[in-house]
Amino acid sequence: MKLIKYVSVLALFIAAGTMYAQEVESDVVERKPGHTNENRFKQLYEEFSTPNQYRSASGAPGPMYYQQQADYEMDIQLDDKESKIYGNETITYTNNSPDALEYLWVQLDQNVRASDSKTALIEPSGAAPADQASSFVNQYMGAAFDGGFKIQEVKGKGGDNLPHTINRTMMRVEMPENLAPGDKFTFSIKWWYNIPDHTIDRARSGYEVFDDGNKGYVIAQFYPRMAVYNDVEGWQNSQFWGRDEFALPFGDFKVNITVPADHILDGTGVLTNRKDVFTKDMMNRYEQAKKAYETPVIIVNQAEAEAASKGFSTKTKTWKLDAKMVRDFGFATSRRYIWDMMAVKIGGKDVMAVSMYPPEGNPLWEDYSTKVVASTLKSYSRMSFDYPYHKAISVHAKNQGMEYPMICWNYGRPDKDGNYSERTKYGMMSVIIHEVGHNYFPMIVNSDERQWTWMDEGLNTFVQYVAEQDFGEMYPDAIAPNKAYPSRRGPAKNIVDYMAGNQDYIAPIMTKGLNTYNFGANAYAKPATGLNILRETIMGRELFDYAFRTYSQRWMFKHPTPEDFFRTMEDASAVDLDWFWRAWFYSTEYTDIGVESVKKFYVTSKMNKQVREMMETRGMKESDLPPLVYLVEEGSEDFDETMKTATLDDVTTLQEYIMDNIPADQRANLKKPKYFYEVTFNKPGGIPMPIIAEITYADGSTERVTYPAQIWRKNDKSVGKVLASEKEITKIMVDPDEETADIDVSNNSWPAVKMEGDFEKFKNENKN
Amino acid sequence: MKYLKIIILLSLFSSMTAFIVHKFYVSTTNVEYVKEKQTIQIISKIFIDDVEDVLQKRYGNQVSLATKKETKKDEELLEKYLLGKLKIKVNGKEANLQYIGREYETDVVKMYFEITGVSSLQNLEIENKALMELFTEQQNIVHIKTPSKRRSLVLEADNPKGMLNFK
Repeated sequence: MKLIKYVSVLALFIAAGTMYAQEVESDVVERKPGHTNENRFKQLYEEFSTPNQYRSASGAPGPMYYQQQADYEMDIQLDDKESKIYGNETITYTNNSPDALEYLWVQLDQNVRASDSKTALIEPSGAAPADQASSFVNQYMGAAFDGGFKIQEVKGKGGDNLPHTINRTMMRVEMPENLAPGDKFTFSIKWWYNIPDHTIDRARSGYEVFDDGNKGYVIAQFYPRMAVYNDVEGWQNSQFWGRDEFALPFGDFKVNITVPADHILDGTGVLTNRKDVFTKDMMNRYEQAKKAYETPVIIVNQAEAEAASKGFSTKTKTWKLDAKMVRDFGFATSRRYIWDMMAVKIGGKDVMAVSMYPPEGNPLWEDYSTKVVASTLKSYSRMSFDYPYHKAISVHAKNQGMEYPMICWNYGRPDKDGNYSERTKYGMMSVIIHEVGHNYFPMIVNSDERQWTWMDEGLNTFVQYVAEQDFGEMYPDAIAPNKAYPSRRGPAKNIVDYMAGNQDYIAPIMTKGLNTYNFGANAYAKPATGLNILRETIMGRELFDYAFRTYSQRWMFKHPTPEDFFRTMEDASAVDLDWFWRAWFYSTEYTDIGVESVKKFYVTSKMNKQVREMMETRGMKESDLPPLVYLVEEGSEDFDETMKTATLDDVTTLQEYIMDNIPADQRANLKKPKYFYEVTFNKPGGIPMPIIAEITYADGSTERVTYPAQIWRKNDKSVGKVLASEKEITKIMVDPDEETADIDVSNNSWPAVKMEGDFEKFKNENKN
Repeated sequence: MKYLKIIILLSLFSSMTAFIVHKFYVSTTNVEYVKEKQTIQIISKIFIDDVEDVLQKRYGNQVSLATKKETKKDEELLEKYLLGKLKIKVNGKEANLQYIGREYETDVVKMYFEITGVSSLQNLEIENKALMELFTEQQNIVHIKTPSKRRSLVLEADNPKGMLNFK
């Protein structure tokens, strides 16, 4: 009986120590209504769809996983004078699904620029006090440009016309009979369209007119492309409004592109008739480039590009490109291009890093582009999988930053005198890293950009950050006087402004890109930062990198969904991250953790008031209790100054226990803490991040303690922790390296320091 | 809804490419009332390329920011420009913003201003039209912090002004 009694009393002390924040209020306040599981660590069963035979619970493709295939043969003609493009394409569509298909859907992305496009109609408008003339014309005077596909015919294999219906940027094609599982359907589409000037509307593809009147063409989304049919959406049915990018099946391409004979062209795929289109000089230089691992070899130099720019050939040349397992096709062509290449070893195989740019891009492009491409391939291959294609091309196009398989367009142009700022240089390097990086996400790890922008932009921006840092290490001279590459996105503290912003204008990452407010921060920076926090702070590099590579390799040349990513990251690391996905990806919560209070305690064997009162109410005497050690708060009724100088040796109950229970030879191993602190951490923010506490002692030394995020699992608002120390603690600081995106660091320290804000710091520095 | 501003066809397209640079024209201004110093401290962060564009359009192509070519005059133009666009009324009276200085951080310029002699704060009216004459979709976000409150404003071309009461 006695035993039970004091056990229950002890339990009371313990409860008082750990659950103070909840108090025993429930006795006095009105009874609260019940509730469902709102724990921040609740698993995501309700948000995730049930795993099935197509997609496994592990995050890997399931045993019945399938994907469709679309193979293309295309003949393309460019009319350089009129800026028109003509195409005749034959699509062979393979139905690998278990479903019989009644129709096919083809994407007509160029129609976003058609005169009947509805893109502008979904944007609310107000009368601006002033408008640019060009905006005014576009908004109120009708579109002068006749954009969009002109579909001339859609025919079956035998030349029969196929019924088709165009719904804006999508076209439904009806087949003579349903396409059975495993069957193929071949049909052809003849089309043309007016190529837009991409410098006017930055529309991902089009032409740019140089000062000498020549044009540089960066051509993509230029052919009717098969939509994705899969186990999660059926037919992709979300229109192209202009922002959310593309969802495309894989396939093989054979493309013949006829351009003026004086053009230089490169695009997706292997050039199969190099001998027909290269001069002898180009051929020789190309052979050298294949063995150049350090410095790019110039295939067409600036003098040659400038000489060609003086003419305008009326003859044509046909460039033949053959690509296997790509989800899309793009090319760039101009008589004004300079061309250089070097080889880079990736997984024992040679890949060509290639750049194509007009003289307007020099000196910047000749110096950096191809080297950046090569370094990007190395970094991304380390983080995901060996680059499987044979080349990666970076094309310079004004104001562009856009990606396609093996080829991308990038900005970064010196002024007319050839000068450029650091900003232009880093802007150019970063965009090349980013767009070349898109070869991995989403060109190969083929996520649905139309629904989930973050899956390619966020993952890619994360690896971009790693690759930028790598580039800085690989080429320290290129980034001098910086010691590290000045990355914009990745470090946790760079996302604070966004996450601390007005909640009315923040959407969760798990939102379709079109419906987000601050697209760049929402779909690029925040997911990238989240992954960086997982890698650096929550999982550690080893566990994170293994899981991230597992995801990349599982879904290489396949179509993953967000859950496939979330599941794989947990499955391959044995780190339950549901709480993190829930907070960082499914909500707009933010991090804010602080030190609320610190109480100092002393140890004594003299019973304190709190315990005495508890005993009295239960009618117990001190002799009823086993030997106890009492903690007395500094400044409390029981506290007296002598406690400050007392040591553990003076606590008789403790000494007796040690003498009776611990063998003499082991007593020396016992720590002798002298100072006891009860630290209360509070969490005004919704995200349960780990508490990273830096403790500073009176002698100036510091120590870090990290309490995992799960410390918040039972109490979301505040938690207490007792620190026992041999040295006096003078300071406790939470998240000292700003690695958790804590939006308010003014509550991060004890004793509360009036933080010298950015403003004061700057003002004081500028006085001197 | 009223904050959702004009997005016209042209500006819409300009925000569409798969950029890694900011796709959206956004500036952030932090306004903090420090009661014990009786000051309002203002830090305005603007993308360098945006503000350089606007200065070049107004004052000619020689304007250059954050490069070796930047002159004292360029900095003065920057100061003059922002002071012309950022107007703050404290307790109903137009306040005098003192320019403290500017610093560059990657692709952003941070500009520092101060309003002194604010012994109490009943209300603030903030207008920030920076860059709106060039980018119709410009959003100027203002975060306001006082010893007891935090507020945010999203200012846009058709609504470039916001009023906050603290009493």
